[in-house]
Amino acid sequence: MIELRDVRFEYTLGGFSLFVPQLSIAPGAKAAAIGPSGSGKTTLLNLVSGIERPSVGEVETDGVRVDGLSPAARRSFRITHLGFVFQDFLLLDYLDVLQNILYPYRLHRDLNLDRETQARARELAANLGIERLLERRPDELSQGERQRVAIARALITAPKLILADEPTGNLDPATKRQVLDLLFEQCDALRTTLLMVTHDHGLLDRFDQVVDVSDFAAGPS
Amino acid sequence: MKDSLYLAWCYLRHHRAKTLLLVLSLSAFLGLPLVMRAMSAVIQQSLMSRAHDTPLLLGKKGSSLDLVVEALYFQPKGVEALTSADANEVDRTDLARAIPIRTGLSAQGFSVVGTTLDYFELRGLQIDDGRMLTTLGECVLGSDVAASLGLSPGDAILTSPAALFDLAGVYPLRLRVVGAFQPSYGPDDRAVFVDVKNEWVAEGLGHGHQDLTTAGGDVVLKRKDGTATANAKLVNYNEITEANADSFHFHGDPANRPLSAVIVVPNDDKAGVLLRGRFIDDATRQLLRPARVIEGLNAQIFRFERVLQLIVWTVGLATALMFILVMALSWRLRADELRTMTRLGCSRWKGVQIMGAEVFLMVGTSVVLAAFFGFVLAHYGETWLQNLVLRGS
Repeated sequence: MIELRDVRFEYTLGGFSLFVPQLSIAPGAKAAAIGPSGSGKTTLLNLVSGIERPSVGEVETDGVRVDGLSPAARRSFRITHLGFVFQDFLLLDYLDVLQNILYPYRLHRDLNLDRETQARARELAANLGIERLLERRPDELSQGERQRVAIARALITAPKLILADEPTGNLDPATKRQVLDLLFEQCDALRTTLLMVTHDHGLLDRFDQVVDVSDFAAGPS
Repeated sequence: MKDSLYLAWCYLRHHRAKTLLLVLSLSAFLGLPLVMRAMSAVIQQSLMSRAHDTPLLLGKKGSSLDLVVEALYFQPKGVEALTSADANEVDRTDLARAIPIRTGLSAQGFSVVGTTLDYFELRGLQIDDGRMLTTLGECVLGSDVAASLGLSPGDAILTSPAALFDLAGVYPLRLRVVGAFQPSYGPDDRAVFVDVKNEWVAEGLGHGHQDLTTAGGDVVLKRKDGTATANAKLVNYNEITEANADSFHFHGDPANRPLSAVIVVPNDDKAGVLLRGRFIDDATRQLLRPARVIEGLNAQIFRFERVLQLIVWTVGLATALMFILVMALSWRLRADELRTMTRLGCSRWKGVQIMGAEVFLMVGTSVVLAAFFGFVLAHYGETWLQNLVLRGS
């Protein structure tokens, strides 16, 4: 699912660089990316998703060489092949829960928002236990409920890969466990690969693979 | 584009207070020049049309604008009065028809206009309900008067006393409503029309009372040389009816009865020129062409409008800059949303489309609102605007 070979990335202003000689994550696997703050965990997600482009090396995601795509093609690839879950949810306060879940369909012409999609959104909401909240706004929800909405938004396009950047970082321990259970359940049900950044080492035994990003730190360039 | 419009609509609806403020500001900015232009055009057209329908106007020397405003639009300006003799003088020339106009009294807030049947023919006023004036004591109402007071033939209306607490003043005269005119969309709709003699009676120049020759001794104070002096018990009539009409009479010279103005309708252009020539050097009177006077007023309105336009455009520019600033700040506050869009895979163009859709919806709504208010004001505010201009003239 994810293959990185001899990937080097440097921020333009310098001060940080990442070198990944080889990284491979199998389809359907659940991988955790760990490492201290500033070690490059989010950069790794950005490289895999095509948000950032490596200076050298190959990045292959879902069989596509994303490093060779044009910026427009990378954007198109992201929205049609990947799902994102962020630490601070990044839901839109002016849309209700249902419209937040369907949000990716409003952003790209290749995604067709039809009745089937709407039905799938309701089904996802039911699976995540938020079916009663569909007409509410994000500011009327608890933190855990918001993150479930964010997970539903990430899954609505039936992506092959979910990239989650500390999705449980803002949640209390009980909610964290619930949200993670739901995320894992949905990934299993949809055979979706998961690459998740986490600081919580207590969760690592639930993952199939752990990637320590500090191993890739190349130091100041 | 549909999705961009949908997202923009959701955003604007969610932030409705901010949106409403911006839309109203933009509406005012866009609407004011449109409304002003429309108002100005409507007022000028409406004023000119009535002035054009009045060939010549005879009045006392003084402000020509005041004379036109009082005689044509029935707005009291306190112009000095002519006399019946002036109207008779015009008639005797055989060059024109003289139509007397007497204003100054009011009835329940509407001007009472004393004139002759020729006036209604000149203005093309048609009876909608009832009949035309035939005898003293009757009145015909303009359409707005009939509608706003809810009066119809068979009802009555009282003239308002000029000075409420003047015990020696003229008492109100009860006028029988015998008809109402069709709407003419002008000042005639807001007037109560009576025969000019009736107006004089209402002003106290003529009156009716018990016949002293047959009155009892308790009413007559003394009789001497064929004349009788009545005491305060003498009954004065406050309404002209068939029964008491014969008792109404005027004292003094009929030629001295006052008129506010005389509309002069020349037989032809040549007659008009001849008449104007006759009055050109008149020391106390003026014969003027109302259209010329209104042209002068319109020129003033136009000059004023241009100054106002300049102010409005300056305020508009400030509003537009403020709108741009508010939108720029709003987009900056939404940086997280834009970043999320980009990370999810949305193109920058889509972001621009959504922002553009928001501007489009707000500007579009503002244009529609501005056009709506402009239309309403131009079509239904004509009377109000006309009064505003004429009262201030």
